[in-house]
Amino acid sequence: MDMLLYRGCTAPVRLPAYEAATIAVLEKLGVNLIEFKDTNCCGAQYVESLSRNAFAAMSGRILALAEKEGLDILAICGACSGSLKINKYHLDNDPTLRDEVNSLLADEGLKYTGKVRVRHLLQVLHEDIGIDAVERAVVRPYDGIRMAAHYGCHVTRPYEIVQVDDPENPTILDRLVEAVGGVAVDYAGKTRCCGGPMLAMDEGIASAIGRQKIQNIAEARADGLVTACVFCDIQLTQVQFGEGAIDKRIPVITIPQFLGPALGIDEDVLGLELNKITPSDIMASLQEGRQ
Amino acid sequence: MTNEIHTPSSEFAREVASVPGGEAINKCIQCGICTASCMVARASEKYRPRKIIQKILIGKRDEVLRSDQPWFCMTCRMCEENCQEGVSPAEIFHAVRFIAAREGHIPNVFRNTLDTVLTDGWLLKDAYSDFIEDERDDLGLEVDLRFNDGFVKRVRERYFSPDMREAEV
Ligand code: SF4
Ligand code: SF4
Repeated sequence: MDMLLYRGCTAPVRLPAYEAATIAVLEKLGVNLIEFKDTNCCGAQYVESLSRNAFAAMSGRILALAEKEGLDILAICGACSGSLKINKYHLDNDPTLRDEVNSLLADEGLKYTGKVRVRHLLQVLHEDIGIDAVERAVVRPYDGIRMAAHYGCHVTRPYEIVQVDDPENPTILDRLVEAVGGVAVDYAGKTRCCGGPMLAMDEGIASAIGRQKIQNIAEARADGLVTACVFCDIQLTQVQFGEGAIDKRIPVITIPQFLGPALGIDEDVLGLELNKITPSDIMASLQEGRQ
Repeated sequence: MTNEIHTPSSEFAREVASVPGGEAINKCIQCGICTASCMVARASEKYRPRKIIQKILIGKRDEVLRSDQPWFCMTCRMCEENCQEGVSPAEIFHAVRFIAAREGHIPNVFRNTLDTVLTDGWLLKDAYSDFIEDERDDLGLEVDLRFNDGFVKRVRERYFSPDMREAEV
């Protein structure tokens, strides 16, 4: 299966290891990611807050480019997957908005008709590949490492539009953790925000929100935290540094970086040494060759 | 509670209801579940989503549009999921932002970031250093990110005035 990788603005600069790990893990599981050229920002938060038409145009162009390629889009960032899906929903349901965006796209010979799907990484792992297939591909299972999952607000809400997982009780990340030999750890406030979107307006509040989450995860005695969004990953890492941070840091790791080693992918390819809080204790729980 | 809050239909509430996203505002019964489920409200007493909605319902147009409050929402939609009346405070605050933005009430961080996106085509062109290029190269990733910066110029021309107010289409 071929898909276009929409890497967005933040992952390629702030978290390239997430991008690399996604490509490697999906390749291992039979999904070939194609370089998506000539894109633009999806418009999340900033354009989104100022003009509905402009927001639809920003995401609409990305959707129309994918239509031209005839391929579905994979998004690895919650903000990007959310924006593309919300705008797809509006463009599909509001003919006036669609005509408006298409009049702008026509200048470069593009047209939005609604043919391609937007998939968040969790959907691809869960629906297109399947958790059983992930489990079957394991060559070095973890030995019961305790992992807490953070799903990301924009990955799972609003369900009527994004359709990834049950927003009140999401389970895909937890099931993936267990598929590779980890133990999924529940904690208070699992579906709450990481505080990342608040960084624009008030860093103090943003950190307080993120730290509360880390505190809850620490209380559940998790060895690590898996994420499925660039912003959440960066935010939940960042709040563990600086004044007022907790003493014992909890390694934050993106889901493909966690799955990769169990699937036999080389740690260098997954960029694990770039993680700001070293996941070495997590890696130490890998067992040697099961098959 | 005063009885005003259950008889919501100020001029301003009607205005918000006429903007996409704001439609459901008059269904709000001011129960406060949104504030109770909001992480921003939990972390700071400055922010109370129910109260902003109340101010809209009773018509405090100027106060709401000039305030930072509608820009504090993270659009995490926790409140929306819990609201029993089918109201989405996140959507309502977006409708309010559109109205505020048209009148030039835009927090600087939004104005400046929008300017960057509509110039470069993406957010982090300036942050993309040689050092990060090397990191990408080591990971076997494409180094030339090839974002398009032509389309955003047309978006800017069509939808925004020079000071980032939304222009009439
Ligand atoms: S939860 Fe819904 S009905 Fe209750 S105050 Fe908030 S928006 Fe209004
Ligand atoms: S969407 Fe906004 S108001 Fe609602 S819970 Fe999240 S931050 Fe609070």
